[in-house]
Amino acid sequence: MNSENLLSIKNLKTHFTVGKSVVKAVDGVSFNLEAGKTFAIVGESGSGKSITALSIMGLLPNNLAQTERGEILFDNKNLIDLEENEMRKIRGNRISMIFQEPMTSLNPVYDLSYQISETIILHQKKSKEQARKIAIEMLDLVGIPEPQKRIDSYPHELSGGMRQRAMIAMALSCNPKILIADEPTTALDVTIQAQIIDLMQELQKKLGMSIIFITHDLGVVSEISDHVMVMYLGNVMEIAETSELFNNPLHSYTKSLIDIAPQISDEKREIKVLRGEIPSPTNPPSGCVFRTRCPNPGIGCKGGDIDMGLIEARPGHWVDRCCYESSQT
Amino acid sequence: MIRVENIKKYFPIKDGFFNNKSGDVKAVENVSFEIPEGEILGLVGESGSGKSTLGRAIIRLIEPTQGNIFYKNKNITKLSDSEMRKLRKDFQIIFQDPYASLDPRKKVFDIISQGLKVHEKIDKNSMNQIVEEIIQDVGLQKEHLNRYPHEFSGGQRQRIGIARALVLNPKFIIADEPVSALDVTIQAQILNLILELKKKYSLTILFISHDLSVINQIADRVMVMYLGHIVEVANTSNLFSNPQHPYTRSLIETAPQIFRKNKKKTLLKGDIPSPINPPSGCVFRTRCPNPGIDCKGGNIEMGLIEIEPGHWVDQCCANCN
Repeated sequence: MNSENLLSIKNLKTHFTVGKSVVKAVDGVSFNLEAGKTFAIVGESGSGKSITALSIMGLLPNNLAQTERGEILFDNKNLIDLEENEMRKIRGNRISMIFQEPMTSLNPVYDLSYQISETIILHQKKSKEQARKIAIEMLDLVGIPEPQKRIDSYPHELSGGMRQRAMIAMALSCNPKILIADEPTTALDVTIQAQIIDLMQELQKKLGMSIIFITHDLGVVSEISDHVMVMYLGNVMEIAETSELFNNPLHSYTKSLIDIAPQISDEKREIKVLRGEIPSPTNPPSGCVFRTRCPNPGIGCKGGDIDMGLIEARPGHWVDRCCYESSQT
Repeated sequence: MIRVENIKKYFPIKDGFFNNKSGDVKAVENVSFEIPEGEILGLVGESGSGKSTLGRAIIRLIEPTQGNIFYKNKNITKLSDSEMRKLRKDFQIIFQDPYASLDPRKKVFDIISQGLKVHEKIDKNSMNQIVEEIIQDVGLQKEHLNRYPHEFSGGQRQRIGIARALVLNPKFIIADEPVSALDVTIQAQILNLILELKKKYSLTILFISHDLSVINQIADRVMVMYLGHIVEVANTSNLFSNPQHPYTRSLIETAPQIFRKNKKKTLLKGDIPSPINPPSGCVFRTRCPNPGIDCKGGNIEMGLIEIEPGHWVDQCCANCN
């Protein structure tokens, strides 16, 4: 739609076959990522945030997951159609990813020098010595003190915050266009979380990459992102610019999330509650997927003839059709 | 209800062939406080600040190295194990991880009724009745009693954990990060449940969390802990509207918020230091945004002073301001 779109995802569906049933983990997701911007994906566990990210990276096992329909357009190529060896040239090089748990995503038996150099040697055809030099520069860039010394450390010698910095250094070492960050601060303490968010914003300014930031924390979303997508049970509920979404939420799920998010205030507030739990994706509700937890479900939401799908309610503000239309009448 | 005086907990580090003591992990340092009956006292701090150790030391699940604990004006620090066991049913804990804290091989009924079997001599019928009542109080149904923990979601498991804690009609509950492992929507449900049950069972609660916005919602009074020391205590509205300690201020400013009033953010440098070898002088000085020259000296004593009624701050930082 827009020439500035770096990554454009259209109607992405990732389904898993488990025994005889099909789990629709991602069921029709579309969004655009603009160059140099941060796009947040927010939702509860089981909403399909991480599977969306892994589908983009092509990291799901072929025998289980079927990303059959839809398009992931990057550089005029549909990533879904790429062969594994072509995808390998993009993964870690043009699009890279950092994960929630920095201890499990770093290899405990190799030092940082080896782990960071590996990507640089592979993608940029540098010698070992050059790669080590770049790795030291990267550690310096992500704010690790004494990088010449730290480069020879093993992951267990670093604190949680330092490990996440090392992960970021590794992910950015080939100067990717897109960084996918899957709950990168969830396992960290508040003060360290603030440091990492600050670092990511600073690096984005310096290096100009786009970020897809996955989180369940609306507070973090409002700190870091330009656009937000709210997901529920594999479906997109709402997409908008961050300030527009928070000041003018249209979907009842988004409204509930904002209502119940813990806020620091001087007076004690009543705790608001959204009832129930996210249903099983093997057996999603008929009609609108959110209707079982909706505070004001319409009669029409139940019917089998409800189609989930986004409409543009205001310029740049997309919301699921069912919820929007029932709120208008 | 509970009064704690100068409690300390050091864990010895043993090294070498003869297991010689080579140092201490100074987990809790000279902490004193009171919890009046019916209060929810929030205890907030980063990992490694000593929150959970303090919680456990109060009810002597780990023995404090030094200090006195009073329960209803009775010193329980030196009680023998058998005397303590009689008091145990007054104290209960709700744990963080609803997956690890329930025995996977026991049915929900057995998990909840375990405490009754140990502490109360009652017949089967009245036990069934109590358990059935409590499972409904926490928002589950009787049918759930015959199932195993793996059949439940995280939020439901936490409800089972709460039912287990309440079945003996305790007076004092330690809730150790009870909502940290849960999704936001479930978190709100559990917080609400805790508030409801607090009223119904007239509980006194020590609520441990690293999340200031959760503490803000649930606590009547808040203690901020850093590296084994309490650095600030105040009632909730006072602490959030008028934080005095630079650590508290930074925690409040950096907590992610949807609608932020104050855009200023003071980031803390570095990580929390090791409790084996804490900084000399003021323990916070290595991360303080504006450390004074005096903070380093060996003659600095950590300790709280009252700057307005009910609002206590560490004296070093209070003087620094």
